[in-house]
Amino acid sequence: MIKTIAHKEFLQMVRDGRFKWVAGIVFCLLLASLVVGWRHYQTLNTQHELAQTRVREQWLSQPEQNPHSGAHYGTYAFKPKTFLSSIDTGIEPYVGAAVWLEAHNQNQFQARPAEDATAVERFGQLTAAVVLQILLPLLIILVSFSAFAGEREEGTLRQLVSLGIKPSHLAAGKALGIAAALALILVPAVVIGVITLSLLTNLAEAKVDSGRMLMMGFLYVLYFSIFISVSLAVSAKARSSRLALVILLGFWIFNGLIAPRFASDLSRSLYPGPSNFEFESNIKLALQYGVDGNTTYREVERKRRTEIMSQYGVNDIKDLPVNFAGIRLQMNEDWGYEVFDKFYGDLHENFRKQNRVQQIGAAVAPLLAIRSLSMGLAGTDYYLHQDFAEKAEMHRRLEVKIINDDITFNGAEAGSKYVNGIDVWEKVPPFQYQMKPVSWVLGNHWVSLLILIMWFGLAGGPLCWTIRSIKAG
Amino acid sequence: MLTQIVKHEWRNLNADRTLWWIILILAVAISYGVYNGTSWVAFLEGTIEVALQEEHDRLAKAQHTVANGLDPERASRSPYSARYIGRRMGLRYAYLPPGPLASLSVGQSDLYPSYFLVNTQATQRQKRHSELENPNHLLESRFDLAFVTVYLFPLLILALTYNLISSEREQGTLAMVLSQPVSLRKFVVGKVGFRALMALTLVIGFSILAFLLNGVNLFGMGTTLKLLLWISIVIVYSAFWFGLALAVNTIGRSSATNAIILTSLWLVFVVLVPSVVNLLVKTLHPVPSRVEYIVAMRDASMNARAEEAQLLSIFYEDHPELLSEDEQSHTENFDTLQWAAEMKVEESMQPVLNRFNKQLAKQQTQVNRLRFLSPAIVTQEALNEIAGTGPTRFRHFMSIVDAFHEEWRTYFVPKIFALHEMTGPDFDEIPDYTYLEDPEDRIANRILVALVGMIIPTLGVFIVGFSRIRHYPLNG
Repeated sequence: MIKTIAHKEFLQMVRDGRFKWVAGIVFCLLLASLVVGWRHYQTLNTQHELAQTRVREQWLSQPEQNPHSGAHYGTYAFKPKTFLSSIDTGIEPYVGAAVWLEAHNQNQFQARPAEDATAVERFGQLTAAVVLQILLPLLIILVSFSAFAGEREEGTLRQLVSLGIKPSHLAAGKALGIAAALALILVPAVVIGVITLSLLTNLAEAKVDSGRMLMMGFLYVLYFSIFISVSLAVSAKARSSRLALVILLGFWIFNGLIAPRFASDLSRSLYPGPSNFEFESNIKLALQYGVDGNTTYREVERKRRTEIMSQYGVNDIKDLPVNFAGIRLQMNEDWGYEVFDKFYGDLHENFRKQNRVQQIGAAVAPLLAIRSLSMGLAGTDYYLHQDFAEKAEMHRRLEVKIINDDITFNGAEAGSKYVNGIDVWEKVPPFQYQMKPVSWVLGNHWVSLLILIMWFGLAGGPLCWTIRSIKAG
Repeated sequence: MLTQIVKHEWRNLNADRTLWWIILILAVAISYGVYNGTSWVAFLEGTIEVALQEEHDRLAKAQHTVANGLDPERASRSPYSARYIGRRMGLRYAYLPPGPLASLSVGQSDLYPSYFLVNTQATQRQKRHSELENPNHLLESRFDLAFVTVYLFPLLILALTYNLISSEREQGTLAMVLSQPVSLRKFVVGKVGFRALMALTLVIGFSILAFLLNGVNLFGMGTTLKLLLWISIVIVYSAFWFGLALAVNTIGRSSATNAIILTSLWLVFVVLVPSVVNLLVKTLHPVPSRVEYIVAMRDASMNARAEEAQLLSIFYEDHPELLSEDEQSHTENFDTLQWAAEMKVEESMQPVLNRFNKQLAKQQTQVNRLRFLSPAIVTQEALNEIAGTGPTRFRHFMSIVDAFHEEWRTYFVPKIFALHEMTGPDFDEIPDYTYLEDPEDRIANRILVALVGMIIPTLGVFIVGFSRIRHYPLNG
């Protein structure tokens, strides 16, 4: 019976001219966004890889000079693009693509794409993720708002009920019919996408993670089911199909436009962050007077000097068998680490708290849940960015340490006239970033996952309940 | 007759709950939007205030030390050294004060740096101090008045107009009205005119009220013109939506169908076209790559840096305090050497910087043409311009920063070469930063272009509407 209903529902939809139009548009947009997204990914990825290689060459081709000058020139870390960023660009336009790794400073990321964009950027990018998160739910609403309300208005619902069809079967059939119609758009888009991709690229080389893709697909199916359930429940409950449409459109606007903004405002006001000025001033101050604000760097330096001298049993810094300048530079770095760890750590912690608020906000708008999960799986979320920033910083510290050690142990005789070349540059390994596993992603986004599953369950519950008590006329 | 129609309309709407819902939603959304915008402006102004206080204290302390001949805290950080004052200690903030109507639209201002700490170092070494916003927050523009105007206001207009003529027909009142000595066209003009007047009064009235309640000074210098420009943009943008609703009504379908068509059109103009334009921009006119720029800058500076390294090889870059005592006597010499070397690096980087800026400017002009595909984009950009939170005012700010940087160097560089020792009165002569606003007529010109770009499609929809109205099926 369910099959018959689903079949009828599907046929009715597919034969409707309006559906053809809307579905056609959504299909084209999905395909276009996939193609453009993929091209965009390829361009950026090539750029970043080339840049990373070139920066390494630049590093190695530095002349003979004081190694510390080399540390000032430093290197850059460029954030690699993930293949799935062609589906969901996430926060990428709003975070820098590169960070300068130099002596003394933990720098902030540079080159945020959105800074160079015009106002149109803030309307949102048309990525496959946006089509799936925003447009498909609208399509679902448009095809299902009249599912019950329309039948009731036409009087066919009474007939159906009189035939002895269980309302729950009716609902299941309609849901399946809608799902089949959606599949008519999604499956070809995915198939065409995959075929084009495999023709154009070496998939193994592109590091396509099919596990992630499958999981992403599954979560989107979950998200669509929520909208199907909600739409059918509203359609069954509403007095007229017009009212059902108004309610569902209201929900759609709230979900897609209002809730994300409101969640940002809420998390910002619950956990206000420092201004950039405050942040930088605090770091500057702490670099002079310590994180606790009571120790001056000069005191620490003096203490360390005496320590080193007694360690080597000399009375004058000049008699040391090592170059004190190197020790001093490293001491300065160690001192800085404490300060940077504190302030960048606090900032990061605050962002995490803000993100948590947004994740919980998904309780009223499922978009927030799927958005955060989708970004997470695509590797374009805040957590991955933060992890990359940490790894880049670790690399900076390693680089500077290698150089300072070189000055300390090899530059004892030459003192401040010490120079070195390729030997020391080569000692610094090239920077490489290791991608995080899916389990790590889910660990960051478990709240979103939980809420999405809850939405799925809860949207199904009222649907069953409203369907059981459905009024035929 | 027209007054009679209007009077009747008023009674009709008054009796309908829809109107009161719309007023309530509009009032809440506008107050929230203006509140959000105002708190962002307050945040920016607060930052500038604290920064200027810091600048004042720092300079006063240095001047005090010098004027009274006191010993500096550390020899390597001496306020007597013109070099150190111009490079580190005496720096001034070049800041972008929020414009008078900044709370109207946050625009791009949450992405741009709002101040620079100008020093004698090369242009490419001037640090960009952007705000530390959670990138998740930046994903969407803020809930400000511009958002309410661009996204929500059209929806409310559509709620008022989707059944403009169709409901009269469905209730059977249309035929009765037209049996009176009134043409359908006049009847519709009355209905649309009244609703438009009401909607505009509400949105502009509420906005001004919200501005005033949030302490925005609407009567200051240069505000009046901007206020007028803002009002005209809102009028034309809403006229577009009224025209669209009218045109859809004249197709002669049922109210429910009209509602669906109009919502789809809203979706097309406000959500779809902007994101498709964004897609087109990325494909047709991609922004020059900052990543390639970074690498090119480093390439360009390589040779110059090699020379610099030779010049300075016996010194520690930036760390004169690390030198032994006999070497420290050369530090003044080091200063000039370092400066000269840095200038070499800057010189070699300048072409790369210029090329990048040229490409970026070209790209933005091309993108700007595409905005006319949707009145929503035109309106958003125009509101950003009026608020002073768009790229144009930022570029203007950057040119002022560059000029100030030049002035700063003109003052300090000869002093660095002369190994000048600062005196108390010298401190009063250090260049002062003032922000000169972009001339008003330039903003007005840009807004006029935007207005024309919206008036044309608006006229189009009205013409379609009025020409079709003659064939409107009275019984349908």
